[in-house]
Parts: sequence; structure tokens; C-alpha cells
Amino acid sequence: MKKGSEKQIKEAEELALEIEELTNCWKRALADYQNLEKRIENEKKDFIQFSNRELIQKLLPVLDHFERADEHLKDQGLQMAIRDFKRVLSEEGLEEIGVLGQEYNPVEMEAVEVVEGKESGKVVEVAQKGYRLKDKVIRPARVKVTKVNEQK
Amino acid sequence: MAKIIGIDLGTTNSAVAVMEGGSPKIIYSAEGRNVIPSIVDPVSHVVGDVAKRQMVLKPKSTIFSIKRLMGKKFKDESVQEDTKWLPYSIKEGRDGMAVVEVEGRTFTPQEISAMILQKAKADAEAYLGTKVTQAVITVPAYFDDSQRQATKQAGEIAGLEVLRIINEPTAAALAYGLDKKNAQTVAVYDLGGGTFDISILELGEGVYEVKSTSGDTHLGGDDFDKAILSYIADEFQKEHGIDLRKDPQALQRLKEAAEKIKIELSSSQEGEVNQPFITQGKDGSPLHLNMKITRAKLQDLVSDLIEKTIEPVKQALKDAGIEKGDVDEIIMVGGMTRMPKVYETVKNFFGKEPNRSVNPDEVVAIGAAIQGGVLGGEVKDVLLLDVTPLTLGIETLGGVSTPLIPRNTTIPTSKSQVFSTAADNQTQVEINVLQGERPMAADNKSLGRFILDGIPPAPRGIPQVEVTFDIDANGILNVTAKDKATGKSQSVSIKGSTGLSKDEIEKMTKEAEIHASEDEERRKIIEVRNQAESIVYTAEKTLKDAGDKIKPEDKKDIEDKISDLRETLKTENREEIEKKTASLSETLQKVGASLYQEGPTQEAPKEQPEEQPKEEGEEAEEGEVVS
Repeated sequence: MKKGSEKQIKEAEELALEIEELTNCWKRALADYQNLEKRIENEKKDFIQFSNRELIQKLLPVLDHFERADEHLKDQGLQMAIRDFKRVLSEEGLEEIGVLGQEYNPVEMEAVEVVEGKESGKVVEVAQKGYRLKDKVIRPARVKVTKVNEQK
Repeated sequence: MAKIIGIDLGTTNSAVAVMEGGSPKIIYSAEGRNVIPSIVDPVSHVVGDVAKRQMVLKPKSTIFSIKRLMGKKFKDESVQEDTKWLPYSIKEGRDGMAVVEVEGRTFTPQEISAMILQKAKADAEAYLGTKVTQAVITVPAYFDDSQRQATKQAGEIAGLEVLRIINEPTAAALAYGLDKKNAQTVAVYDLGGGTFDISILELGEGVYEVKSTSGDTHLGGDDFDKAILSYIADEFQKEHGIDLRKDPQALQRLKEAAEKIKIELSSSQEGEVNQPFITQGKDGSPLHLNMKITRAKLQDLVSDLIEKTIEPVKQALKDAGIEKGDVDEIIMVGGMTRMPKVYETVKNFFGKEPNRSVNPDEVVAIGAAIQGGVLGGEVKDVLLLDVTPLTLGIETLGGVSTPLIPRNTTIPTSKSQVFSTAADNQTQVEINVLQGERPMAADNKSLGRFILDGIPPAPRGIPQVEVTFDIDANGILNVTAKDKATGKSQSVSIKGSTGLSKDEIEKMTKEAEIHASEDEERRKIIEVRNQAESIVYTAEKTLKDAGDKIKPEDKKDIEDKISDLRETLKTENREEIEKKTASLSETLQKVGASLYQEGPTQEAPKEQPEEQPKEEGEEAEEGEVVS
């Protein structure tokens, strides 16, 4: 008799434990699912906003090439073509990061060279233009930054 | 329920992952990348990609490769070696430990690493939308107690409770789902950005045991990039007499080009380095860098570097006391293992295909996340949700297999679709449950069939039979067919709809691929035939219902076209059938239009019967005829 009830109690305990475990798993799965739904919603928005991002990122080096060519050739036709190309890109939300003469800021700029100057941390030359797409930096600008030579 | 994150705290790059919905996911950084460069400016508290951008400007305060100093004494030989090439200042700190000095302040390697971990934590919190307080962090298998302790402290400084420190190769094995139940020997080949590690693991008896490790602490992707860069610069110099390495801006572009071509040649046989206006000639004219590089050339350039990894591999095998034939699995870790030549070299050495299906940059973090899941009770051993290995569907008009549940759907799942009859006054439909990827029913496996009868007599396309497929968590498939008009239903329960042997699944999938084009052709012919038959049916019905209102010459025209199409249907000529179907349909439409014009007083002919099934065509497909 007593043995039987002990066994039953043990069984009930085990079952209670199992229920708790399974409830936990279920809650976890549900939470993950709900989070996923929220995230998908956000990602969808991002996707729409930034769907052109990859393509534009690939086009930027080509734009660099054109602009470099322009520096040498100074051809009016080429300049018109570049202007047109940039217009299309800016319609998609692309915007050049203005850096020249500004304080160096690693969030938007990558320092490629340090040059001597009267004050430190100023951008004196742009080696490669940086761009923002709808307020997000998609390529930091490559810049030359000044530094005071302390040894002098 | 707080999540436990897994962090791969690397020498060059770090990565973070978490278990979600029962599977590990890599967390992208705020900068949108799957890794965080292990670079820190401790004074201005800048970490990762942003810190990397200021390295040139602040070489003395931008700390990288800090992992090399973790838990080491300043007097250690390796630290003394590192001080020679690391641009920042390394000093002797408390208890003789190595510390770094930045702008007059000293930082322990733990503090620097903590900033990387903090960023990983912040990125994970942004992704999960909740606080993260617990983590599993990986370390190289050769890390000693002091180095492991330092790593743990770094976690604590970052505000993370480090539940466990696990070995990187163990994490990689976990990510590949190699469990400790089956005793096996695993070699983990890890070629990262700056270091090479080889570890031999013994899995079994409930433990992962690292038998031996070896490697080269100064061999990695950066060396490969340098070799490629030198080649390009040398070639350019030969041709133009200008050393691009002396021009910082050209060098920057060259670095990028070298990395790009390295990646490009991993997937294609030949690539082009294209950097117009890279510099100016002595006469001031612009010079362009334009060079074709083949994969063979690249392999030639880096073959020495790859060969250098083989010696440590041999050493590790020797230390473990095993032959290379004793290795059951080889796992590839680190971005450089994407290079085909690296893979081939390892494959040739072991005489076995290495595993590389998990992204080699992410695999260690993923393994750490799995370990976190196990500790948090989220992962029981490894919980695998089953998927349907093959498509499940039913047979419809013309012997076509119509899919309901596509392959690789995670179960439990269910799906219903409404079908209809294929003939007038059809009172029963047969449901033939099919499994397989082929479009024709006869080529797929029939799992079972049953008949739903007692459908009230009605013209074809009118009755609505709802067919429901339901697979429960145990893989048992229940198929129910229900006549929506009478509510009458029939069902069948099929066990083992997912329990096919691996060979069977492979065979069926392969067959589907081989026959894809001919199957498609057959399916199209049947589609066209079904359309033709449907239009013949409509035409005959129109003649019957409204025959007396149709002009005799039109009636004759329709009749001729019907018999013509019937004849053609006996052949397999798809184009001819299509043409005649179109012609009959056109005539019918003309006649139908003229019927309406005859005036409102006349009873309009019953709705164009043709349209009835078509409108519902999205949902109601015609069921299989049973005679």
C-alpha cells in the first residue's frame, strides 16, 4: 500500500518536472518566434530602404574611376556624364560626406596618411570620397589628417 | 528568459552568436558585418571597424592583436618578440604581467579585450532587444590557465558572467554537430587572419579531449595578401619603373585590389586587377594598373605559405600519437580556408574531404552559442526538428502530381487546398497521396490512396473537396478529404512519410533533377490537354443549353471545331492542340457575346460555364476522375 503511494508520488513529481521543462521550452520557442516576427518586420523596412545599398556600393569604385579620369582629361562630355551618373545616385539617397577642413572623425572617415600641420586632427586632403546612403555611412571617406610635429 | 551568447574572441576578428528558435545565429555588428575587428582605442573608447579606420593616424593608441598578450608575463619570449613589431608600447605591469601603455595610461590586456566583449554584448543586445548578462567565450586549445583566467576576467570587466571558457576547436566541432556519443578523431585546421592553429580532438566517453595542438602564431591571411600585393607591385615596377608601395594612396588601393583578387580567384579561374589612374608617370602622364591574374598564378604565389601549414599538422599528429589515416573528420575554420588551394592541400594530405559547410568565419562563435544553449537548458543534447525530405502531394487530372507540402518544410505542419471534380455527375474522387519531386504522379511514390464518395451529382468543377495534409511532430501524415457541400469526409493516416533512408531520398532527388526537362514537357502537354478538354466541355454545354438561340452557321462552326480539336487531342502535338483550343475559345466568346446582345427580355444563358472553374482556378483544381 505505502509502497504504491510512494511510487505514485514519485511519478507525479517526475511528471510535474517534465511539465515544467516542456512549458519552458514552449515559452522559449514562442518568445523566439515573436521576436523573429518583430525583427522580420524591421528587416523588411530596412530591406526596402537599403535594397540598393549593395549595388550602389559596387558602383562607387566605378564613380571614383570616372572622377579620376576627369581630373586628367578635363573633358566636358565626360563631366556631363559624371554629373548625370551622380544625379541618378543622389536620387536614390546617396550623399557625399563633406570632410575637407573638418575635424577627423573615425565614424565617417578612415585616416590613410598623416601630414604635418599647425594643428592636429584636421582633414587636409580627401584620398577617396566617402558616402552616406539615407543617413547611413556606406563608405567612410579616406582622408589625410594633420598632426603637429612635437619634436620640433 | 535571458539568452546566453557565444563569443569567438579572436586575434584579428571576433564574432558573436546566439541560439534562437533552436538553431544558432550569428549576430551582425552595428556596422552590418558578421565579425568585429579585434581593434580598440582604449582612451577614446572606440572599437572594431571604427578603430581600424584611425590606425594610421593613431598607431600608438590603436591596439590590435591584444590576444597575443593575454595572461602573459612581460618577460615571456613571445611577448619580447611581439614588442618588436607591434607599434604600440608594451610595458611590465603588476606581477610582471604584460600591459599596454596608451597616452600615459596603462591598460591590461583584459581591459582591452573587455572593450571588444562589450561591443559584442551591445551588438547582441541591440539584436535581441533584451539585456545580455551571460556568455560562453572561446580560447585557443593551447591557452594555459593564466591565459584562460585572463579571458574570464575580460568577460567580467565587460559585465558578462562567463559561464564557460571552451576551446576553439571544440566549438568548431560542436558547430558541425559532431557529438561525443560517437567516438571519433577530429582534426581542426584553423587558418585565420594572423594565426594558424591545428588541433587534434578525441570525441567520446562524454568528453571532448584535445590530444594535441600545433601551429604558427604568425601565419595567416595577411601574409597571403602581402604576397599578392608584392607581386602586383613588382610587375608594375617592371613595366613602368615606379614603385607603388612608396605612394601611400596607391598602396592603399593596391591593398584593396590584392584582397579583392584573392577573394575573386576563390571562385573563378581568372580575374583582373583594375585600378585606373593609380599614379603618374615621370612625364606627368597618368598610369593605369591593369593586370590579369590566373588562379594558377595566385596559387604559385602562396604555395609556400600553404605548405608551411603542413609541418605543424604533421607535428600535431605525431604528438597525438596517431597516423593521418586515423582522423575521421577534418574541420576547416578561418576565412583563408575558403581558398581552393588551401582546401586541396589539406584534402591531399589527409586523403579525405574536409568539412567546410559552416561559414569558416562564424563557425567558432556558432559552436560557443550552442554550448551556451546547452548550459541554459535550451539545447537538449542537440534538438533537431525534422523536415520533410521530399514533397508531398496528390494526383490530379491527367496524372499530374500536385504538391501540397514542399520538401524541406519543418514539421509539424499542415496545409489544405480545395479541389473539384473532373467530370459531370462525378460522385466520388480518389485521393492518391504522393511523395517525390517529379511532376507526374506515376514517377512518384504512392504512400496510400482512398476514395471519398457520396458527392452530390453536379457539373464538373462545381463540387468543392477540401484536402488537408497534416504532419505531426512524429512525422505521421494525416490526409483528409472533405466534401464541403455534405460535410462528408474520409481520411488516411500514413506513418513514415519522413522516414526514408538517406539513399532513397538522394536517389529520388537526383532522378527529379535528371528528368527535370522532359518532365516539364510532359506536364505542359497535360496542362494543354486539360485546357482543351475543358473548352470542349464548355462548348458542348453551350450548344446544349442555348443551341436554339445560336445562328445555324455559328453552330456548325463550333461543332466542326469541336470535332477537329477532339481529333488533335488523340495526338501529342502540343502546339496544334494549343492553336485549336484558342480558335474554339475565340469562336465561343464571339457567340457568347452575340447571345447577350439579343436583349434583356431573353433569359440569359447560364453563366459561361467555362468561367466557373476558372475563377476559382487559383484554389480549386480538378481532382482525379474515378470511373
